[in-house]
Amino acid sequence: MQGGSSGIGYGLKYQARCISDVKADTDHTSFITGTLSLREENEVHLIRLSSGGTELICEGLFSHPNEIWDLASCPFDQRIFSTVFSTGESYGAAIWQIPELYGQLNSPQLERIASLDAHVGKINRVLWWPSGRHDKLISIDDENLFLWTLDCSKKAAQVQSKQSSGMLHYLSGGAWDPHDINAVATTCESSVQFWDLRTMKKTNAIEHAHIHNANYDMKKNHILVTAEDESGIHIWDTRKPKSPIQELPGHTHWTWAVTCNPEYDGLILSAGTDSTVNLWMAPTSIEDEAISESIAESPAQQADPLLNSYSDYEDSVYGLAWSSREPWIFASLSYDGRVVVESIKPFLSRK
Amino acid sequence: MGAEDNVPLDDKAKRMRDLLSSFYAPDPSTNNAPSNPGTLDAINTSSFDADQYMNLLIQKSNLDELLQRHVEMAAEIKNIDTDLQMLVYENYSKFISATDAIKRMKSDIVGMEANMEQLLDKIMSVQSKSDGVNTSLFEKRENIEKLHRTRNLLRKVQFIYDLPTRLGKCIESEAYVDAVKFYTGALPIFKAYGDSSFQDCKQASEEAISIIVKKLQGKLFSDSESIQARTEAAVLLKQLDFPVDSLQVKLLEKLEQSLGDLQLKTDDIENASMESNDPKLGKVPDSVHITAHEGSIRGFAEAISAYRVIFPDSEGHLIKLAQDLVVKHFETVEQCVKGRFSCANLLVVLRTIWTDVLLMDEVLSEAVLPGFSLEAAQNALKQHVASTFNYLLHDISDALLRLNVSSKEAAEENPLQVALEASKKALLQGSMDVLLDFRQLLDDDLGLLVQLRDFVSDWVQEGFQDFFRALYDRFFLLSGRKSSSSQDQGLTAGAHGEKVLAGLVLVLSQLSVFIEQTAIPRITEEIAASFPGGGARVYENGPAFVPGVMCRIFRSAGERLLHHYINMRTQKVSTLLRKRFTTPNWVKHKEPREVHMFVDLFLQELKETTSEVKQILPQGLERKHRRSDSNGSTASSRSNQLRDDKTNRSNTHKARSQLLETHLAKLFKQKVEIFTKVERTQESVVTTAVKLCLKSLQEFVRLQTFNRSGFQQIQLDIQFLRTPLKETVEDEAAVDFLLDEVIVAASERCLDPIPLEPPILDRLIQAKLAKWKEKNPITP
Repeated sequence: MQGGSSGIGYGLKYQARCISDVKADTDHTSFITGTLSLREENEVHLIRLSSGGTELICEGLFSHPNEIWDLASCPFDQRIFSTVFSTGESYGAAIWQIPELYGQLNSPQLERIASLDAHVGKINRVLWWPSGRHDKLISIDDENLFLWTLDCSKKAAQVQSKQSSGMLHYLSGGAWDPHDINAVATTCESSVQFWDLRTMKKTNAIEHAHIHNANYDMKKNHILVTAEDESGIHIWDTRKPKSPIQELPGHTHWTWAVTCNPEYDGLILSAGTDSTVNLWMAPTSIEDEAISESIAESPAQQADPLLNSYSDYEDSVYGLAWSSREPWIFASLSYDGRVVVESIKPFLSRK
Repeated sequence: MGAEDNVPLDDKAKRMRDLLSSFYAPDPSTNNAPSNPGTLDAINTSSFDADQYMNLLIQKSNLDELLQRHVEMAAEIKNIDTDLQMLVYENYSKFISATDAIKRMKSDIVGMEANMEQLLDKIMSVQSKSDGVNTSLFEKRENIEKLHRTRNLLRKVQFIYDLPTRLGKCIESEAYVDAVKFYTGALPIFKAYGDSSFQDCKQASEEAISIIVKKLQGKLFSDSESIQARTEAAVLLKQLDFPVDSLQVKLLEKLEQSLGDLQLKTDDIENASMESNDPKLGKVPDSVHITAHEGSIRGFAEAISAYRVIFPDSEGHLIKLAQDLVVKHFETVEQCVKGRFSCANLLVVLRTIWTDVLLMDEVLSEAVLPGFSLEAAQNALKQHVASTFNYLLHDISDALLRLNVSSKEAAEENPLQVALEASKKALLQGSMDVLLDFRQLLDDDLGLLVQLRDFVSDWVQEGFQDFFRALYDRFFLLSGRKSSSSQDQGLTAGAHGEKVLAGLVLVLSQLSVFIEQTAIPRITEEIAASFPGGGARVYENGPAFVPGVMCRIFRSAGERLLHHYINMRTQKVSTLLRKRFTTPNWVKHKEPREVHMFVDLFLQELKETTSEVKQILPQGLERKHRRSDSNGSTASSRSNQLRDDKTNRSNTHKARSQLLETHLAKLFKQKVEIFTKVERTQESVVTTAVKLCLKSLQEFVRLQTFNRSGFQQIQLDIQFLRTPLKETVEDEAAVDFLLDEVIVAASERCLDPIPLEPPILDRLIQAKLAKWKEKNPITP
């Protein structure tokens, strides 16, 4: 399980938490990331993996007015992305467009398409529908869930509907179901809640504490993966919210982020505050595995779900993104501002 | 011809004999050995050809030889001549002596005839005299015979006239056997003459007999009589032509009723077991009970054999009765086995049953009772093994769950230690007792058990395997890790719905280690010593009890539970910290006045952990920093070479910044590992818990934005934590590092990071310490 130095590194100037795959860029494997610095001038980096796959090239460097807490690339337009930012005292969210001629300009400015400024509380996430073109956006703050209609050409975003999460439910994040345009899962301190966007009503909930992050399986319907403080990673079938179908040990400290591979079934990546990124292989026959989860057969027969542990980080890893163009490549971002792009090809053969 | 020279004498004697025998022999040709006429030896054969012989001789021999041959031949001829002469003489003399003998015989025979005639005369006279005697005695003899016959007849008549009184006497003396014998003897006469001359007699004796019949019937159905006596009565009644079939039905009914008494009563068994548990008094009543039971069974067996003789067609019914009895016996046993029931008691009961079965088998082998009861015993034993292990499991979990109760009462000083010791004892002692118990089953020479011996040892081994599996499941159930276990969800929800105690998890973890390191080896040893082989079962899945696998399972269980314990402990702190950091508005924080109270809670939690850990876990050998076994670190022990490499690479993109400086500062600091492997020692566990808590603290800080006062508050709290943490923790450097990290994180997340002046910091800490001492005067 030696992390090795197979990864390709890239340094940001400041600390950073978020990185996103530029899904709409079909010609290159690119990622976009933003820094988190209270007192310095923050930057958004557009990074591209060189054609040989040996180097990370800074394709664009843009200044961003505030520290970036969340960043998401638009799945249908590579020049558009959203950020959640904080001035230190208040939070905001905006949709940005990378200027057309940024190659020629010296210090190009990002073009703000829209501000999602209906929020009052602390904004946590902005979600795009991951599966394709959709003119809706979701933003989540501590207490509310907003559905926005975005018109890029008019450069306007309007609140279409809004729903409060209810008393004592402080939302921390969420995920948009790639299989169902009307289903969104939000995480809060004690549970995962599922919403129907048409009615803005809660449809279901998984009662489980301390979930940091949730991610839908891109391939399989109804499969949701969650990351928690102490108890690691759980894989849920959203139709059976009583108990998880699979449990993975997670990290030595908190498991911060978890993401399913967009192409390979059962491949899960998790990042933790113990400065490691773990690559998991959830057993394919999930239904059977749930029953004989304990020790029905001797432990030797159960393959270790942990395929590899990348421990080549200096600080907690918060950012994690698969490349959708080359699904065997992922980018990770540790708090000290280091982007590391790794290939999981050596582990694919084991399947 | 040299060879022939050596044997002339033997040759000669042989020829002599041959000649003599051929002379007397009826067929001379047989004597002649078939020999080739072409050789010189052919001289003795009947096919001898003189010319040919001569030619051969001349051809083969030189002159000297011929001459010598001639001489020899002449001598031989002479010899033969003398021999012939001698033979003739001998024969002649024999003939003469034979003639003499014949002459003498002829003269002797002449005088015999006269003597014979004399003898004949004498015999004739003897015969005539005996005839005379015979005729004279004939008349008298006939008279005597007649008289004798009359006397016999008279005696019979007398018997018949006496019969009623005799029967009466028999009734008085209850000698029914004799009475029936007499009556049946007289019956033919009554039949022939009963209507005429013996009418009175017949009536009288029939009356007597009817009395007897009544008495016999009464005897047959009276419970006070022994079965033997009743059987006798049945036989007698049958002899008296009484309708037996109705009797049979009635009797069998009675027998069936008596079966009820024969049943082993659960109470009796329990009494027996109670008594046998009492070492002083136990034996006597127990054995009395047993002998009484055996007596009645013996009676039952006798009855069966008697009935079989009397009623040949009742066999099927009897078989059914016997089998019912056995079935009921085993039903009782199974009922007992369901409860707590020691093997010794089981043995007593089985022994009783087996003697019963053997007794019944003697008289009723068709019922195949031994085979039948063998099967039933197999089931009962199997059930017994299962229930024994079940109870063992219950004992252990009871010992563990007592912790829940006792900790609520908080009476004991070291509840965890007590629980651990109790459960250890329950486990080891229980297992040993179980083995000892089953050992009794094996040692006993009861026929029933001898045949099941192999099965028993298999079942015991299997039982242990299942037991440990179940124990493992139970552990995780108790620890609450498998809260959503699909199988017994109802039970889980009901019994363990309340929050699981962290201490219990620690106890479970230690118990797992104990099982792996002590209990399983001990049990394996014991099994190997007392349950050799097995082997009755086909091992399709290998041997029944696989200690290696079990050890592995429990080793991993121990580790998982230990981690789970640490997690549970840190989770509490984590909740505490979460509340601390999410509640206030840090950007508008007021100036720090005192150390925040979450520190107290944190330390209290830590103290609790330490006290729990101290009760159970062993102390570490010494204080040391482990570097070798890290599995993840923040500023870890990677080689500088590699590190420089990377820094160079990323440096190309990096502007000089404050961040880089802190990085470089980290580089030159002593490298400290945070997430080291947990060891099963007090210090290691506490240290790991503290490290995890501090890391969480750092992560919570990173999520907030502070104003200057907020930052200063954090600084103050951390500063205060430093001393007490170092005291409790093994790895000071790591804790120091983490505390620094928290302050760094806070300063990074601060809009205006100006630390508190050291004097103010000092004063606030001193104030807190004073307050603390006031609250807890004993603790330093």
